[in-house]
Amino acid sequence: MKSKAELERFCGNCDSHNSYNYPTQVFCSTRHWQSQDPIVPTLWHCDQWNQVSQECYCVREAKKAQKHP
Amino acid sequence: MRRRDYLSDPVKHMKLSAPLTVDQLMQQFANSGSFGAGRLATACNIYESMLRDKDCTIFLAVSGAVVPAGLRTLISDLVRKRLIDVLVCTGASMVHDAIEAVGGRHYKGSWVQDDRELYKYHIFRIFDVLVPEEAYVRLDYRLSEIYGQIAEERKGEALSSREFAWELGKRLLDENSILRAAYEADVPVFIPAVRDSEFGFIHWLHSSQKNVKAVLNVDAFKEVPEICGICSQSPKNGMIVLGGGVPRNSVQSSVLASKKGLDYAVVVTMDRPETGGLSGSTLQETISWGKMKGEADNVMVIGDIMVVFPVMAASVMERLGAEYVREPVMKKFWRSTK
Repeated sequence: MKSKAELERFCGNCDSHNSYNYPTQVFCSTRHWQSQDPIVPTLWHCDQWNQVSQECYCVREAKKAQKHP
Repeated sequence: MRRRDYLSDPVKHMKLSAPLTVDQLMQQFANSGSFGAGRLATACNIYESMLRDKDCTIFLAVSGAVVPAGLRTLISDLVRKRLIDVLVCTGASMVHDAIEAVGGRHYKGSWVQDDRELYKYHIFRIFDVLVPEEAYVRLDYRLSEIYGQIAEERKGEALSSREFAWELGKRLLDENSILRAAYEADVPVFIPAVRDSEFGFIHWLHSSQKNVKAVLNVDAFKEVPEICGICSQSPKNGMIVLGGGVPRNSVQSSVLASKKGLDYAVVVTMDRPETGGLSGSTLQETISWGKMKGEADNVMVIGDIMVVFPVMAASVMERLGAEYVREPVMKKFWRSTK
């Protein structure tokens, strides 16, 4: 697994993300707790980003989908 | 017994010829009377007896992943046709029902799959059934809103799991939903371990929101007098168990607490009795507790619920005929509090 410093920050590799509309949108539990809209793009990120503990394909697949919508 | 009494009923060998209905096949099983075939044929006879007994209230206890695996519509049809009177189930069973009610699906997979890759794709595996994570997440999001609506309407009142299930059924508009069918058909659904499922984690999601206006309150003990009251007032009680676990224990303990004892019992399981766990415990064992009457019609079918139960239901429905309408005795003594 890449270190926090070398990982490009996206909602799709943040530990608050869950799949919502795979692979382009995720459900952010932090935003939900804060009563903000929890549905965010996989390739977005905010200042509360925290590295996910186990990597998944969300960012890779979202990038592919962005190139070939 | 005399020697000739042991030898009074010879095995009749199965003779199959096309076309063959499910109940005709079941009659062949009964003719054999042996091993799983004999037990399944007996289970059909006992279920038919429960239905034809005008004094019997039928409890269906469901555990395991049979709802995501394909029994959802069968169970909701049994509820709508009042071929069962009370559903007692795990929280997960109703979570999977609700997942489909809000648009999610379960998918056919294989039990030999790369689970590390499934994790990376956010896909969950239940043996050979697959569930995409978004099915859960969409349910979480929708139900956390519904929890808020229920909490505001009920103004802090504690709900039993039966009331909670009906509040969900009232708001889930899918006619194939078990929760919806139960709400419409006045069939109580008890979920004794409601917290041990996604329903519990949705509660966390709902209650920990920063601006939550009212928090849903479900009281685990409130259902006890409700379910025991049904057992107590019903002249007779019958139980069909798919799996075992908490739902089976809940039904058996309720008939015991109400000092009735089961008059009929069918258990379908693949669990073993030797561990002392409830799911595999024999029905004979329940007699020692008073949970089942010594003279009760009962059988334990050792087999895969996904095969056994649809065959059993189809055979009995065939015997009853399409025009059959059951008038549950429960309607005489139990009224919904919608």
